[in-house]
Amino acid sequence: MKAQSIARRVACAGLALAVTGGAAACSKTSSSPSASSGGSQGGGGGTYTVWDPYPQFDGSSDWSKLLDKCGSDAGVSIKRTGYDTSDLTNKELLAAQQGNSPDVLIVDNPVVSTLADAGVLTDTGQTSLDTSGISPNLLAAGQLAGKTYGIPIGANTLALYYNKAVLSAAGVDIASVKDWPSLTAALAKVKAAGKKGITFSAIGTEEGSFQFLPWFWGSGANLTKLDSSQAASALSLWTDWLKKGYAPNSVINNTQTTSWQEFATGQYAFSENGTWQLANAKKAGFDYGIIPIPAMSGGTAAAPTGGEFVTIPVQSKTDRYATTQKLVACLTSADNAYATDTTLSYIGATQAVQTKQAASPDLKPWVDAVAAAKGRTSDNLGTKYPKISQPLWTAMQAALSGSASPASALGTAQSAAAAATK
Amino acid sequence: MRSLGSRTKKPLLTGVGLVLTALMLFPVYWMVNESFTRDQDMRKDPPNWFPVHGTFEGYRAVLHQQLPYLGTSLLIGLGTVALTLAVAAPAGYSLAKLRPRGGGVLGFVLLIAQMIPGIIMAMGFYVIYLKLGILNSAPGLIVADSTIAVPFGVLVFAAFMSGIPEELMQAAKTDGAGPLRTFWSIVMPVSRNAVVTVSLFAFLWAWSDFIFANTLDGGGDQQPITLGIYHYIGNNNQQWNAIMATAVVASIPATVLLIVAQRYVAAGVTAGAVKD
Amino acid sequence: MSTLTQTPAPRRPSGRWAGWAFLAPVTVYLVAFYAYPMYRNIDLSLRHYTVRSFVDGDAPFTGLANYSKVFSDPTFAPALEHTLIFTFVSLFFQFWIGMGLAVFFSKHFRLSATLRALFLVPWLLPLIVSASTWSWMLNSDSGVVNHALHAFGIAPVDWLTSPTWSLASVIVANIWIGIPFNLVVLYSGLQAVPADMYEAAALDGASAWQRFWKITFPLLRPVSAITLLLGLVYTLKVFDIIWIMTKGGPAGSSTTFATWSYRLGFGNLLPEFGPGAAVGNLLVVMALAFGLIYIRAQRKQQVA
Repeated sequence: MKAQSIARRVACAGLALAVTGGAAACSKTSSSPSASSGGSQGGGGGTYTVWDPYPQFDGSSDWSKLLDKCGSDAGVSIKRTGYDTSDLTNKELLAAQQGNSPDVLIVDNPVVSTLADAGVLTDTGQTSLDTSGISPNLLAAGQLAGKTYGIPIGANTLALYYNKAVLSAAGVDIASVKDWPSLTAALAKVKAAGKKGITFSAIGTEEGSFQFLPWFWGSGANLTKLDSSQAASALSLWTDWLKKGYAPNSVINNTQTTSWQEFATGQYAFSENGTWQLANAKKAGFDYGIIPIPAMSGGTAAAPTGGEFVTIPVQSKTDRYATTQKLVACLTSADNAYATDTTLSYIGATQAVQTKQAASPDLKPWVDAVAAAKGRTSDNLGTKYPKISQPLWTAMQAALSGSASPASALGTAQSAAAAATK
Repeated sequence: MRSLGSRTKKPLLTGVGLVLTALMLFPVYWMVNESFTRDQDMRKDPPNWFPVHGTFEGYRAVLHQQLPYLGTSLLIGLGTVALTLAVAAPAGYSLAKLRPRGGGVLGFVLLIAQMIPGIIMAMGFYVIYLKLGILNSAPGLIVADSTIAVPFGVLVFAAFMSGIPEELMQAAKTDGAGPLRTFWSIVMPVSRNAVVTVSLFAFLWAWSDFIFANTLDGGGDQQPITLGIYHYIGNNNQQWNAIMATAVVASIPATVLLIVAQRYVAAGVTAGAVKD
Repeated sequence: MSTLTQTPAPRRPSGRWAGWAFLAPVTVYLVAFYAYPMYRNIDLSLRHYTVRSFVDGDAPFTGLANYSKVFSDPTFAPALEHTLIFTFVSLFFQFWIGMGLAVFFSKHFRLSATLRALFLVPWLLPLIVSASTWSWMLNSDSGVVNHALHAFGIAPVDWLTSPTWSLASVIVANIWIGIPFNLVVLYSGLQAVPADMYEAAALDGASAWQRFWKITFPLLRPVSAITLLLGLVYTLKVFDIIWIMTKGGPAGSSTTFATWSYRLGFGNLLPEFGPGAAVGNLLVVMALAFGLIYIRAQRKQQVA
């Protein structure tokens, strides 16, 4: 009867399902390439959860192994999950609301003040974290109202990568690029020689603001006043480059990754990008160099610091903090930090690591750049920064896409930022 | 609907069909092209229509790391199908044949239920799942994914089953069969096409779901392929050829399924509606 | 499908119990999984949330303040306009292209079943992949579309980075993704149209065009209605495609309610959950309004 054949078919499907499910389950636990590492190395002291924004590292990576080692040193096992960095803030807020925060949270530095303000993070007073060796300009991003809420795992910043072959073919001497007029002149020469000038990221997210800040600060402008004439001149620099064809139209949608991919084609002279591209730069197949981003009238522009902070979220069981503090201290110890920073291509946050890195000629310019960099939430901006950053990138998008002039776009941005930060 | 054209039109139709399909699938071709492209050629101007300096590194990464995710996706897909059928088929039968009072209201509510944006559902589920302890688990994801398919499934089953001739139902009644027996022995076998259609939609929706997977299984041990892609989206860098390669590899089993199931889907969706 | 809105036929008492017994799983399901998220979202939209009060759960009740904030926001009018344009243009093209393809594939030529199945491939791709692929194809400098246009002597268009074209670009990508659904549903509707009607019409001398408009299309009305309604509901919710391709920009030129809601709640460093939820609810209300229009049109059809 038909019903029986249906039943048989369903049973077959169910069996197939069970078999596949079993296969999937088995293969999962044995090779465990997902983000959580095996918890078998820890001691019997319980499981501590770690959330980080490095989904590119799986269970077999050095980072996971380091976490496990720190865990076993502290007598506990670690369950680690890697999330997409743009997601992590909201995941943490939702988790904190439900009392489900991880024990250790590694998160991008500009959101530390937001999370601290939400009451989600503990300060170093509560957890006895030692922040003595950390460079002050890097620690500032994690400070709010005089308290410190985490330790930077490392830092990175922006500089100008240049393609030596393209510059020499265009007859540009890199030593002559010292300020904005000389940079623009170099771009003109490159374009005349048939190549492309400069690429960067001006996308309508925090990445865009991040990339714009060296130029913004390099003009002498301040984030508390977005509509100053210096800010307008910084934005005009970019819009002029676009109009003259020195920078491609795609910068409006570029992330730092896609901007780097443009540079990696070998057709561009300059790319504004960060420390983390060092490994890619070596693979690029052409000779490259680095100069710090010039300020408007000469000198080096202050660049924003990137990089994550290791923080300890608030837990209802406060006796966990003692072990968590040991985990964090282990992660950020000089040797471990050096290894991690090398993997991530970051610069160390402590003098000890920075000195070690400065010994290598590749890294020395970056060590200097990071020393001159400043946090986006410093200058006492704290949680005001996100409310200023969004109007800023909106203004950039409007000006670059031609919907508004730089001055009027920044004017709108300043009103929005002022209203939001009242 | 039989074609009334002459024989000579057929090869021409096939030709036109091939061109249309090629146009429609061009972005898919481009995706495959990108999956073989080296990182430094990704933004080449002008772009390569064919990956001349191809690389297998994307596929190597995928085959090395992503197969368990494919297994989990398959498990979740099949589980979603089972759950959707279990909930939607009886409901469709009830709305079409048994017609209890208030059934129309329920139908309307089901329509509205589909209007709720996914992220809102996901956030609500997070709280429920946390309390129930099924966060970061495959069964939890199966339940969440089925919410995408159940309202649609009820709609399809109701429409299809309303087209089942009353004589069949009468015959079952005179044989002394109660509603349950009628449902299982008469209605379900006849509704085979609707079953396949709903299964197909449920599977495909579960296969490509991201928002529920991301919110509810972000930290789980068993993750579907849509999350597996995130291995290649690091905090500062993305490996696009690997991302595209993951999509290609993930699409192959689903495409096979589609081609096999097509002939059932054809008659499945709306058999009852037109005769109204 | 009119079965959902018909007045119930007379039934025996035992039928009523059985009816609700069969509906029990779906009712429990609805209450458990739809009611709670909806309730939470309404709650979110009626309170003033800061990140701190979101975590602590003690946000003050502010009534409709979030809604008035949303209505008076300068983004409201453009977002509404873009949402309506996006939805109706997408629906129009998805539907008619789907219909055309459905009619075409009904002719059962060689390979038609396989080709029809292949048309569904865009459906299986994760949205991040399809949207990214379209992004790359439409890139101003390295995109294949501009490259092809160049071959025809047309200047490159800034598909994703110009305020004029950004909405059009996301609409095109959305149409592409929506064609499979329309094709499948309309095709199976066509299968149910009895062949003898066409034969009779052909014998009467009707052309293919006339046959379509006078016979096929009217018979497909219920199917078309449900396709459009479901298409509307799904399209109103679309946000991944737009977000990945343009983030709603540049300068808000492709912002719809769905992307606005996301940006408010999740898309920036400082989430604004209240307004985000309010915009999300507005979307549900819009979909509801169209759902009611559909039901009313159905009822009128019944009476006629």
